[in-house]
Amino acid sequence: MLEVRGLCVRYGAAPALWNVSLTIGDGELVSLVGPNGAGKTTLVNAIAGVHKPASGQMTIDGRDLMALPAHRFCESGIALVPEGRRLFARMSVRENLEIGAYRVAARIEREAAIEGVCALFPAVRDKLDHPAASLSGGQQQMVAIGRALMAKPRLLLLDEPSLGLSPLMVHAMFGAIRDVHAAGTAVLLVEQNVAMALDIADRAYLLEEGRIVAKGAASDVRDHPDLRRAYLGATEQ
Amino acid sequence: MTLPSATLLAQSALSGIFIGSLYGLLGLGLSLSWGLLHVINLAHFAFAFLAAYLCYQLASVGGVDPLLTLVLIVPLFAALGIAVQWLLARFSLSPLNSLLATFGLTAIVEAGIQGYWTADFRKLESVYAGEKLRIGGLFVPIPELITLALAVALSFGIYAAMRHTRLGRALRALAEDAPIAAAFGINAQAHALAIAGVSGALAGIAGVCLALSFTLTPSSIYAWVGVVFAAVMLGGLGSALGPLFAGAAIGVSEAVTMAVASPSWAPIVSFTLLIALLLLRPGRT
Repeated sequence: MLEVRGLCVRYGAAPALWNVSLTIGDGELVSLVGPNGAGKTTLVNAIAGVHKPASGQMTIDGRDLMALPAHRFCESGIALVPEGRRLFARMSVRENLEIGAYRVAARIEREAAIEGVCALFPAVRDKLDHPAASLSGGQQQMVAIGRALMAKPRLLLLDEPSLGLSPLMVHAMFGAIRDVHAAGTAVLLVEQNVAMALDIADRAYLLEEGRIVAKGAASDVRDHPDLRRAYLGATEQ
Repeated sequence: MTLPSATLLAQSALSGIFIGSLYGLLGLGLSLSWGLLHVINLAHFAFAFLAAYLCYQLASVGGVDPLLTLVLIVPLFAALGIAVQWLLARFSLSPLNSLLATFGLTAIVEAGIQGYWTADFRKLESVYAGEKLRIGGLFVPIPELITLALAVALSFGIYAAMRHTRLGRALRALAEDAPIAAAFGINAQAHALAIAGVSGALAGIAGVCLALSFTLTPSSIYAWVGVVFAAVMLGGLGSALGPLFAGAAIGVSEAVTMAVASPSWAPIVSFTLLIALLLLRPGRT
């Protein structure tokens, strides 16, 4: 479905990604792991249209994404759960979800979609009319995922969904990701928690200093020597 | 110092509300552009005066009813607002640089007004000018009443639109986090032009109100800047109702000071009020 080839991204003059290639098939759950500063967020943001790449190719179902302005990326069924959640803090939870369904195609089923988010995250239901900023970190993460699901995505980009959450909340979050994946949505998951990310994924990529250094079945990446080196033993043995 | 009568105080407060509503109307477009587009559009004042002169020209020379000039002025100044935003967007200016660029634009418009209408005083002698209602012991001039009605209707109308329409939600989302809003399909450029158009139209409407009540000279553009900026900052950037209420508060404090003490005290009182409120008000930008 998604095909990224030879992608290069820069911040000003500083290169952040070199010649990155990655594919995601229909309904696949792919994890992107790598140490801090490897360029994981940069890659996800480029796929979401938030950051414009310097060169390379990105297509979704053969459709060229590179030529599109940022606001048209979501037409292809891409939805982003950004790092740090980035909710619209002064808007209510319901309004945040409605922005998720801004696209005309998603807007028609908006009420049913809000109901769907509440079913997936029951804690959100009581908070619909509260300002997003008043929610706890875990609840905000639920709303961020809910906002992306409102767009009826075919490819969900999840950037560090467990960041700053309690172990219990992390567990709930991975459960929700499994549910979304089981319903047929393709997922690209960026995670600091490498063990959990590789456990849940079909395939994985290891990104280090802006380059893909390993890829393959999640179990192969787990055993890859570069992974241990990249994290200096931070993974489970 | 003798205390003025209750009637004089009430009349002062009333005229304060009237002038405050014009502060609010001028501030409304400024606040939207500042809060939502991060453009501090000083040219808003120049456009308001250009609209005022245009209204004066059409009404005094052409004999058109001044309110009817809105039919021409609103679309014209909406287009002007859009054109300026389109131009500013080419350069991706910081808010401070937008202030400098639009200051330059203000000087150009001022020079243009002076070139065409000269620096002489111009006063629109409209059918509304002499009309006054008398309510109780108070005089209510019709032009000021029109300004108040327009300011209230537009402020509340825009407030409701920002809260309850899809467009309003999109604009608030863009103001908070434009890249993420764009990732959900909101076209930042198109919405920026729409806001600039609304802001331009508001400058035009404020200009007609200026022409109804005030004597125009090109240099009096700058006389409005300080107090309207105060109303915008006090009311909260991007707020639709804020400038109206803040403008009324400043207007009343000025007018009552003029009645109780002397006119020269008015700016001191209103700006002291501004500084005090900005210091005391918690957690707002």
